[in-house]
Amino acid sequence: MQDDYSSLWGYRLKWLYTLLVVFTLMAPVFYVMYISFNENGFGARDYVFTLDWYVVIFSDLLLLESFLNTLVLATITVVVVVPMGLVAAKHYKITRYPLAVVSLMLSPLFVPADILGSALLVFFKNLNKTFTLLGESFSVNWFDNWFDLGYFSAIVGLIIYTLPYVFVVILITMARYKDQQTEAARSCGATAWQAFWHVEFPQIRAGIFSACSFTIILTFNEYTRTSLLKGGYDTFTSVLVSQMLNEGMSEQSYAMSAMVSYIAIAIIGSIILLTLVRSERLEQVARAKADPMGAT
Amino acid sequence: MCLFFALPLALTYVWSFFERTMFWMKPGFTLFSYHNFFTSARLENFLASMGHSSISVIVAFIFGFPIAVFIRRRIPQVAQHRVILLFILPFAVSEIIRIFALRPFLQRNGLVNNILLELGVISEPITAILYTPMGVIIGEVLSFLPFIVFAGFLAMEAVPKYVFEICEDLGASQYRVFVDVILPLAAPGIFAGSVFIFVNGLGVALLPNILGGPGAVNAGLIATQAITALDFPLAMAVNAIMMTTLLGLLYIGHKLFDLTKILSPMS
Repeated sequence: MQDDYSSLWGYRLKWLYTLLVVFTLMAPVFYVMYISFNENGFGARDYVFTLDWYVVIFSDLLLLESFLNTLVLATITVVVVVPMGLVAAKHYKITRYPLAVVSLMLSPLFVPADILGSALLVFFKNLNKTFTLLGESFSVNWFDNWFDLGYFSAIVGLIIYTLPYVFVVILITMARYKDQQTEAARSCGATAWQAFWHVEFPQIRAGIFSACSFTIILTFNEYTRTSLLKGGYDTFTSVLVSQMLNEGMSEQSYAMSAMVSYIAIAIIGSIILLTLVRSERLEQVARAKADPMGAT
Repeated sequence: MCLFFALPLALTYVWSFFERTMFWMKPGFTLFSYHNFFTSARLENFLASMGHSSISVIVAFIFGFPIAVFIRRRIPQVAQHRVILLFILPFAVSEIIRIFALRPFLQRNGLVNNILLELGVISEPITAILYTPMGVIIGEVLSFLPFIVFAGFLAMEAVPKYVFEICEDLGASQYRVFVDVILPLAAPGIFAGSVFIFVNGLGVALLPNILGGPGAVNAGLIATQAITALDFPLAMAVNAIMMTTLLGLLYIGHKLFDLTKILSPMS
């Protein structure tokens, strides 16, 4: 069998193919970015560079309000889901049933957004009706509207959606951490919290940071579950989609889509770069330890 | 997870047998929603969307799986995860934007037609891509292809590299290695990735809604339309059918390939 290293062109072609697939996946988004800078919009014969469409979106009050709503959702989701993911990952490492834990944590990935969103919608409506009936049976209205569609229901939907990603990211980071370090800290008299905060956390900080970033991006990008569960207010993607469906792809829609994509790509790109730099540094340290004289 | 994920999905089976009222539903036992689904054009649409999703799975496998094999077999161990990270980049962009972006990309005066016209490959713009089943299939492949790369790579990661070296030493051809070694060993990953694409192809309503044009419907869109029409039992019946399809596929896959193998790198 011919080895790829002996056939350099075969190896290069496979690399080229891999990069071409990544580029193809991103090409429609790049095209949207390109159109967003055209004064004449999509399909025009002449391309005239402008930043006007971005100025328009920044002066749109409805959009700014929806942006703030999404920011609130993202912040609360991060605060709740990252500790949950951390606890789940720590539990996974000590449980006698790792398969059950990992299956439960990853199963939301397999359920399409519309299916989970509609199931949760009916679930919350039923909860609301049940609690209202409960209140009526005690002749109080204290239980009314606990589970109305709004921030709470939307956040529950977002937590179910983002938890698998947070769990996986933290789990991967924790794989490098040796539990003996915690044991050593505890045997030196540290409390469980001190051992976590001063020994374990600094080593998994990068994973926690990545999980936070992923959660924010996923929350800003999410549409289906949030639109079913959010109640009356608007989010960034709901404004975008309603604008696209009602008015078609306007120049403003291109600019909005492009703006969201820049931010998301910048954040994920930074995480990827940081991961690469960090792993390169770790390798250098490992190489230095293995060969302290620098003979090789 | 049990309260807000497993319980609502389990209860969809119960709610699907409830009776529809004007604005909500009431407890009872009726098969009306299932009858409504199986005796209307919805079933035809559901089966058609199953066909489209199956094609998407095959296309995604053909284009995506060789990448997983290449990364695992030919990229040095330390760099493998870095290359996989490249496929996370498309996920940074909202699925909605990626799907909507296909409209200007594929439509009559879009980029693809313009390039093909400029190159002289076609003399007339192709109009059979967007707002047809092909548009939906392209959307599904571009949206979900990275999952076959991730799942395939995860399954291949559990295979020791010396297995390939032994095959090479024994003089096996590329074809024999692929069919007799790689496919059986990576089968759990391929299956998991395929189920993911298939089920999301059936369940993500935006794909037929935006790319399929009038008449293009999948299970997700049927459920969403039923909710808009305040027919909650029908929406729950569609959900129940989807969940049964998903669980059935995972059960068959587990019996055939032991899907727990794909999780072994995480253990």
